[in-house]
Amino acid sequence: MRARAGALVIAVALIGAAAAIAVAAARGPSPPGTLEGRVRGIASTLRCPVCQDLSVADSPSALATQMRASIAQQLQAGRTPDEIRAGFVAAYGQWILLSPPRRGLTLVAWLIPFGLALAGLLLAVGAIRRWNRGSATSSAKPVSLAPEDRRLLDRALLAAQEDVE
Amino acid sequence: MDESMEPAGRHPSGLEPPSRGRRRRGRWVVFAVVLVAVTLAASLFAFGLGRDPLVVRSALIGREAPSFDLPMLSGPGTVRLSELRGKVVVLNFWASWCTDCRIEHSALAAAWDRYRDQGVVLVGVAFEDTASSSRAFAQSLGMDWPIVSDAASRTALAYGVYGVPETFFIGPDGVVASRWVGPVPYAHLTDEITRLQAGPSA
Repeated sequence: MRARAGALVIAVALIGAAAAIAVAAARGPSPPGTLEGRVRGIASTLRCPVCQDLSVADSPSALATQMRASIAQQLQAGRTPDEIRAGFVAAYGQWILLSPPRRGLTLVAWLIPFGLALAGLLLAVGAIRRWNRGSATSSAKPVSLAPEDRRLLDRALLAAQEDVE
Repeated sequence: MDESMEPAGRHPSGLEPPSRGRRRRGRWVVFAVVLVAVTLAASLFAFGLGRDPLVVRSALIGREAPSFDLPMLSGPGTVRLSELRGKVVVLNFWASWCTDCRIEHSALAAAWDRYRDQGVVLVGVAFEDTASSSRAFAQSLGMDWPIVSDAASRTALAYGVYGVPETFFIGPDGVVASRWVGPVPYAHLTDEITRLQAGPSA
């Protein structure tokens, strides 16, 4: 019983840590007040069109530089980050976004990790239960043993009984 | 499935023999789940292998082409998209540093010669380039269609350009009909232009 409680505590702690990381990652870096920081905040969510693996914030390419300039201009013109992102999506499609939107088909991409974590947790709980059942040595419950092992065990038990007698 | 249990004879150990039926069923469930997951992943990967990650369907297809009013690279005047309504517009993004643009030049030149008097306008947009090298490139190859410069790549960004050459086909209704990534073949130019001349983009 104590082992089970311990495992539960560990599982809960792990899930809590994972959730905290997920929330922090989803929020992104808190946008500082400066224009540069706000541009960086938006640029880091956009894919650099000419280098693909980098965000617009990280890419040194000329096009990314011009995209940052365009973001700065649009921010100064009073457009919101979502409006600016929508503008790039209108030209490039959702491909330009580094993380898929949390709705429609791409919501699946967000849910799969949580689904897998839940499945893993259920498996772990199941395994712990099975172990506990095994160690409880209740004679009523079936234990899976290979035939040879069973034969060895039976023989040993018989020998022990005879010793006692 | 065979659900029959083994005759549960009492072992000297007092342990029950395992219920084989349940164990076997559990193994089948795990096998089926793994099989489905592997099949899904494999088909996703196979689908991805067959695709060129560089070719992304333009988000603009079927929408009104982003307007522009760009200065000519050499000489006075501008090219304004709104003034080209009623014509088929072939918008070609290129650069002097791009070797594929050199390769596609002959196809563009042949199409321009064939269609320039038939309500078709070919517009070349210099992308990420200095004015002097664009001019030298256009002169050396003899580009005799309107070539414009795109300060700060504003028009390229509005069209979602991610490399050169890229060619957009805009119908007489001002709607983007299609986009070609990479050097555009002559046959594709003629196909698209004839299709757009025939009627509104379907």
